[in-house]
Amino acid sequence: MKWLPQDVETYSAAKEYVDTAVVPLYSITIGKGVKQSAAASEFITLLTNYLERQFTGRILLFPPFTYLGNEQDEKVLTDLKKWEESILDAGFKHVFYVTSDFEWRSREGELNGTLIWLPAIPLEQMNDTQKLTMIDSQVQQLLTIFTQKWQKSD
Amino acid sequence: MSKDRVSRRQFLSYTLTGVGGFMAAGMLMPMVRFAVDPVLKAEAAGDFVATKQKVADLTNEPVRVDFSYKQKDAWYESDVTESAWVYKDDAGKIMALSPVCKHLGCTVNWNSDKEHPEQFFCPCHYGRYTKDGTNIPGTPPLAPLDVYPYKEKDGYLYLGKAKPRKEA
Ligand code: FES
Repeated sequence: MKWLPQDVETYSAAKEYVDTAVVPLYSITIGKGVKQSAAASEFITLLTNYLERQFTGRILLFPPFTYLGNEQDEKVLTDLKKWEESILDAGFKHVFYVTSDFEWRSREGELNGTLIWLPAIPLEQMNDTQKLTMIDSQVQQLLTIFTQKWQKSD
Repeated sequence: MSKDRVSRRQFLSYTLTGVGGFMAAGMLMPMVRFAVDPVLKAEAAGDFVATKQKVADLTNEPVRVDFSYKQKDAWYESDVTESAWVYKDDAGKIMALSPVCKHLGCTVNWNSDKEHPEQFFCPCHYGRYTKDGTNIPGTPPLAPLDVYPYKEKDGYLYLGKAKPRKEA
């Protein structure tokens, strides 16, 4: 389900089934690096939306957690931990973070949720069909990470 | 009155040329698109959308067929991609099922659960359907998978809007 009024209504009525939160993570860089920043955002947005389509009935896709590219790591981590706490308090059993920001890889241990890191693939040269094929193949690999986590807890 | 003033007749002829030109462009655009990319781009034939699937290649094993079309969403147009599970049944009739689970909307897969082969399986809460899309009692879904109406044109499969069926 997406962060839309109709969807969150369904979520509220079926909380016992929607037990997984997905949070896209990406940094915003203005000035030098603005292009890469936008490309990473496009990639993560398409990817998480496609993922949501596969798992509509079990995940709630949150709006992205964004932060400035030059912001201090500690502050960003503290903020994300606050998100995580509220998400878990709300009854979600699983939290997944999806990012192409390399920095998170060293911080995974400090989070309860699962970090999924993928290098951003630039999509601007691709047509829609190519984009879809590419995103589809990336997501197919992610699906098992989710289903395995679920199978362990169900 | 100045000579430069646009007369009523001129005004009308200007505007009509404008509208006509605009209309011509509107007619030309889909044709250009069709010529450039005849199969890849969804071409609307009524409410049916072209897929890349050749009807002759279909067997009794369900295959995933993706197709996209444009959808007006509030004020901008976006490409929507949908999928269908398509196969020929024992009588040779084409069956095109929506992959959207009738429980809470996850995408179902064909034959992906080892313990229950030859069924559609939903990974979210383990919903299951038989090959014809009928929901299996005791699993979460309460209705059979929706069915796409289809058409064959120039050997290719065209799909319409998926329709719900009666509860099993
Ligand atoms: S969404 Fe398919 S079983 Fe729940």
